[in-house]
Amino acid sequence: MGGITLNFGDVLAGQPGQWLLSGFLMTLYVSIAGSLVATVLAVVLLALRIAPSRAINAIAIAIIEVFRNTPILVQFLFWYFAAFGLLPRAVRDYVTDNHPWAVLPFNNVVLAPEYLAAAWGLGVFIAAFLAEELRAGLNAVPKGQTEAAISQGFTYGETLRLILLPQALANCWQPLVTQYLNLMKLSSIASAIGLAEITYQVRQVESYNSHAFEAFAIGTAFYLLVGLALGQALGALGPHPPGGRPRRADLAAEKEARAAEVAEAASDA
Amino acid sequence: MPDFSVIWENLPYFLWGRAYEGQPGGLLLTIIMAVEAGVLALAVGVLLALAAWLFGGWMRRALFAAADFIRGIPLIFVIFWLYFLIPALFQAHLPDTLTVVLALAWFTSAAVMYSTLAGIEALPPGQTEAGLSSGLSRLGVLAYILLPQAVPNILPSLAGVFISLIKDTSLAFIVNVQELSTVAGQVNSRTQIYPTEIFLFTGAVYFVLCGALSLAVHVAQRPRARAV
Amino acid sequence: MNPADAPLIVLKNLHKRYGSLHVLRGVDLEVARGEAIAIIGPSGSGKSTLIRLINRLETISEGEIFIDGMPTASFTGRRLRELRTEIGFVFQQFNLYGHLNALDNVSLALRKVRGLPRAKAEARAHELLERVGLADKARQYPAQLSGGQQQRVAIARALATDPKTVLFDEPTSALDPEMIGEVLAVMQELPKNGITILVVTHEMSFAREVADRVAFIDGGKILELEPPAQFFGAPSHPRTRRFLKQVLSPLSAAEP
Repeated sequence: MGGITLNFGDVLAGQPGQWLLSGFLMTLYVSIAGSLVATVLAVVLLALRIAPSRAINAIAIAIIEVFRNTPILVQFLFWYFAAFGLLPRAVRDYVTDNHPWAVLPFNNVVLAPEYLAAAWGLGVFIAAFLAEELRAGLNAVPKGQTEAAISQGFTYGETLRLILLPQALANCWQPLVTQYLNLMKLSSIASAIGLAEITYQVRQVESYNSHAFEAFAIGTAFYLLVGLALGQALGALGPHPPGGRPRRADLAAEKEARAAEVAEAASDA
Repeated sequence: MPDFSVIWENLPYFLWGRAYEGQPGGLLLTIIMAVEAGVLALAVGVLLALAAWLFGGWMRRALFAAADFIRGIPLIFVIFWLYFLIPALFQAHLPDTLTVVLALAWFTSAAVMYSTLAGIEALPPGQTEAGLSSGLSRLGVLAYILLPQAVPNILPSLAGVFISLIKDTSLAFIVNVQELSTVAGQVNSRTQIYPTEIFLFTGAVYFVLCGALSLAVHVAQRPRARAV
Repeated sequence: MNPADAPLIVLKNLHKRYGSLHVLRGVDLEVARGEAIAIIGPSGSGKSTLIRLINRLETISEGEIFIDGMPTASFTGRRLRELRTEIGFVFQQFNLYGHLNALDNVSLALRKVRGLPRAKAEARAHELLERVGLADKARQYPAQLSGGQQQRVAIARALATDPKTVLFDEPTSALDPEMIGEVLAVMQELPKNGITILVVTHEMSFAREVADRVAFIDGGKILELEPPAQFFGAPSHPRTRRFLKQVLSPLSAAEP
């Protein structure tokens, strides 16, 4: 590398250091907020998607397809520029005002248009993927399970709650975790609408003292390490197929599922 | 009342940028970048998958670790890295469009590798065993027995990867490359009062493009199912 | 209302259609309390469909099913679910709940459908697991059990709500040969304890030794219904004779 000296000190201390720390935290805040929104909406979408009415299924399919087939950047731009502007004047003014109570540690304003647009945008986008993963997990539960439950006198609701969903979650836990990790990575795109998360702050530092490599290296390390740690933690939290080692056929199916999930998930932007 | 005149007035710009001046932009540039990155990612990804299958063991683990590393960094960062790294390393400045295409190819090749490998490994192990028993080398088994059978399985997930790639081209926004999303952003900052029309239109264009591809794959799948 | 010697199950003119496919074409059958009926027939004859109609896993196209004197074809909602708790069903593929251990598999319906408190339900479940010889496997999951063991747990599960009758849909067809015996042994005990059983099966020895009557079904109708001695010794219907020949001595039956 011709003529490049690395100076991490200038990046980790003082003003730049503050910015980066603020950015780390903002990424975490918006990812958590987005994840909550995504989880709630995913359950709603799933319910619509598997409801007995074909008309309601069609609505769910339409919503899911719209959000899966448009780039998240365009969705962010829409929520930030278009949708926010359609809110009533009073609401908009309230959001853009300064509210001391709405500031999380390290100067991160959460009641701001860019934060709301980012959290909502992330939530809605990932909810569509979560709903489809859950549906795949449900479909992978053998049909005989439903028959056994019905023959014992369970209602369909009880069957879903007690027998199908627990097994569905065990089926698709890993893909679900991948989606939440993806949500965190996609938060980087919200820097385009002015959200001061880590990517935004890295660019700030770069334009402040031109230490591009150091700043980017730190940002990269953040995503990799947090992603790794969260992935392990969330993975371990999940339901595991109980008892016994999976058989050979299951392993092959698992590998294929993993590849399909990665191919679809992590690049969606 | 939504006023879509802003779309009509800027339609050529949305669709092909300044193509008449030799600078394709808008939807045209989106498609060009997706195809270029796609071809590169396909070549690299398939090669990596073949290497992983042929050499197994440590090579496979290393490739998987590399792929996880590639996917673990948000695409935006990868674009930035290449944007700053290439001029610093090679003392030469690459056109921004090419930088984005390389970033996209790098990022997508990992997905191609996963898909290809999964498709090959989903075949019954008996196929490999039969091939080896008849005296073929592992490379021969791959070339004559596995790949031909794996391809129909791999195509749908590769199509999904390509659809993601089309959406990922929107991130060129961040380095001001004039593809569809950047153009939309520019028209919006210029006109200020039509964000709804502009971004709904932009979303619709991607939706039609990606949705059509999705549908095509879906339809192409069906006759196969019936033939079995 | 219903004297003790009246039949428990009465099928009257039962029809089942799937679109234009007429699978059951007018089936009549009366089953007494504590009776063991074996139902045999070629594939596609409608034998599985027949018992699946009794606990309404399939809907009835035409006809009536009387259980304990009550016409059940029009039951829906709560009454249907209650009816289902009175009828046990054992599947060819066992269909044990994969995420629950054996004890929970057996006790789930007691807790959630009948509303029993956990302790009582688990006590009953232990009893049943002992009865099928699997008391020591109470905490094991289906994936850790052999096919024969899984099917015995499935039988215990079917017995949990004290049904008067248990339906078996080819209970041993998915089992390795050495495990068939242990399942048949459990099934054999049920009529001795007053539980009516209807068993769709390919196991001719079971039909011969345990069944009180054997039914032959083909083309959607019951063509023969007799005690085993007569059924296997001197079947009256020509198709019964042909089927038995194919099943009992396949090579000579295939001779041109």
